[in-house]
Amino acid sequence: MRQTFGLRAIALLLAAGLLLYPVVFTDPFYRDVGVTFLLAAISASAWNIVGGYAGQVSVGHSMFFGLGAYAPLLVYNLWGWPPIAGVPFGIALAISLALVIGMPTFRLTGHYFSMATLAVAELIRIFAGTWGLVGAAIGLQGPATGRAWWDLTFRSELPYYYIFLGVLALLLATTAIIENRRFGFYLRAIKASERAARNLGVPARRIKMMALALSAAFTSVAGSLYVVKTGFIDPDSGFGILVSVQMVIVAALGGAGTLLGPLVGALILVPLQTATNTWFGGSGSGLTYILYGGIIVLIARFEPGGLSELWPRLLPRLWKRAHAA
Amino acid sequence: MKRSSLLFAALCLTAVAISAPTARAAGTVKIGVLMPLTGNAAAAGQAAKAAIEVATDIVNNAHPELGNLPLAATAGLPNLGGAKIDVVFVDHQGNPSTAQQLATQLITQDKVNALLGAYQSSCTFTATPVAERYGIPFMVGDSAALNITTRGFKYVFRATPIATDYARTYMRFFADMKKQGKKIDSIAIVNENTDYGTSVGDAIEAEAKKDNMPVAIRIPYSASSTDVSAQVLQLKEKNPDVVIFISYTADSILYMKTMKSLDYKPQMILGDDSGFSDPSFIPAINDIAQGVMNRSAWAIGKPGSTTDEINQMYKAKTGRDLDDTSARNMQAFFALADAINRAGSTDPEKIRTALAATDLKPDQLMMGYQGIKYDSTGQNILAATYLIQLQGKQYQLVWPETAATAALQWPMRGAAQ
Repeated sequence: MRQTFGLRAIALLLAAGLLLYPVVFTDPFYRDVGVTFLLAAISASAWNIVGGYAGQVSVGHSMFFGLGAYAPLLVYNLWGWPPIAGVPFGIALAISLALVIGMPTFRLTGHYFSMATLAVAELIRIFAGTWGLVGAAIGLQGPATGRAWWDLTFRSELPYYYIFLGVLALLLATTAIIENRRFGFYLRAIKASERAARNLGVPARRIKMMALALSAAFTSVAGSLYVVKTGFIDPDSGFGILVSVQMVIVAALGGAGTLLGPLVGALILVPLQTATNTWFGGSGSGLTYILYGGIIVLIARFEPGGLSELWPRLLPRLWKRAHAA
Repeated sequence: MKRSSLLFAALCLTAVAISAPTARAAGTVKIGVLMPLTGNAAAAGQAAKAAIEVATDIVNNAHPELGNLPLAATAGLPNLGGAKIDVVFVDHQGNPSTAQQLATQLITQDKVNALLGAYQSSCTFTATPVAERYGIPFMVGDSAALNITTRGFKYVFRATPIATDYARTYMRFFADMKKQGKKIDSIAIVNENTDYGTSVGDAIEAEAKKDNMPVAIRIPYSASSTDVSAQVLQLKEKNPDVVIFISYTADSILYMKTMKSLDYKPQMILGDDSGFSDPSFIPAINDIAQGVMNRSAWAIGKPGSTTDEINQMYKAKTGRDLDDTSARNMQAFFALADAINRAGSTDPEKIRTALAATDLKPDQLMMGYQGIKYDSTGQNILAATYLIQLQGKQYQLVWPETAATAALQWPMRGAAQ
């Protein structure tokens, strides 16, 4: 009971902090870092639905991210529509792809599922790099200067920040609802042991498929947000393996399969990435990567369940210490 | 307990010391430079960084030995009371989204007066709109994608030649060769399949079509391939007279070695800079690919010349000769510094006006351009390039003949003997 109370307090604190962040930090650079953080949190939370809760570790989620990123710029370049109009297409494409991919690959489990998703994502990346309609290797560009507000090219980072925050809130609310429904229990049962869950009557294939489709839809939205903000997409920044890997690392770092885990992961990783690059990037000595990698190794070694597992252990201890004094 | 709190305090202090913005000395001009200093293209980014550091030294200190090069003879920028240029380097790691964030950082945190960058076209695509939004001039160092300058931006300028300029140069060269009685019935284009190779390959194919030069085969491939024998066999079968490679470093070396082992040698191999200009290319293929050609707007020139002096300075710093890519960044830096000096102010609007009015003559440049003069999109209309050929252990300038320092060997010899 006390633990849930502690978690709820942390969640409220986080929400308040996120809402106020751009008000406190008015500098465009800090706001931009905030936007990057939100995007990482959204992508990782979307991945978390299937990768964390259902325990189906996809290493190819960039395929959904890329679809979501390409769709807005494709409708803009083909028909001159505002990029935002492409978001539903991105979602529809991502869900269809999830169903097509899910059918054969969910027969596989564990590493084999990971390898299959990785292979499909790479396939799509290479294909996108040779297909003229989507700009081949050169990629697609959005409106450089917006024609009107609906092109969503803002000079200030503030509108992006709150749009991204809204999407993150929606995603976390969806995840929170799932957590306490039958669907959520099914997911955890599958993660614990798919065979046991099946024997107890859990429709495992269908549940996994639904989780993947939901995860794909949100990942695609993350891609759309990325491209609306950046205004440029090429095969590597859309379908590249690093995009998938970042989702996994952020979620695993914070705690995969927990509601706030991905958020915590992004909260640590994004500022760390930015800070190491700002301080040490200019010298070009590669110190950025060494520090960044070193910290990931440390966490993997000492807190393999993710940092969010630290809270329940840390909180009672803090509580005790405060009362002992 | 005590030791750990001490350690913590020390850590905090270090963090503060590192993050504290360096106070801006009176009368300095700040230029932010975006380069890939780590990641795939780190070697190119590091070389460009060294070149820009040499250029900063040339502008900030008196170098009367450098002839007509603007700002060399004086220390600092004379029209700004001898103000020095302070360069802030950042590392975008080849990631377009990072490049965008760093452009924001340079403009709003470091308060730079102008920007220069960003090597990969993808990163230049995302960094330039930031500069445009904030009204800060952005000098594109060497990114070649055509549509960087065709987006109606006011603050983006590019001194370097772009893909179509190169393609046109190659066609002029072929026409010239045919006039001299060399046989060029068809060409082949082999390009790595990311944005660089694709855009240059497209430009060459388009120009070849215009010139009625048959393209026997076009082979896009992945630069990370570890085996290219299939591609070389395709070339061997079509047997074109000239093969143009648009390749990065490891792959271009792999092609030369594979062609040797499969015993295939066309009349001529023409490399499109990049891999062929990489410092590691010549030592790797020296024995087997004598006579390969390459493009370069940079030539070291005769001993004692301005370009030779610049090369000496670069060599003293890095131990290598200056390469074309870095030299084009260096030239862009000089053109930017010259505009800031003419503006006589660090006001971005005045710098922009001065940039737009740029009119540098060939003798004021270190590169083989016919001058620097921007059209309304910000692209230099006088950009051009030389063609060079590997003879012995270094490239010699062989075309156009008016600037050549050595005679062209046609067909290429291949193995050195």
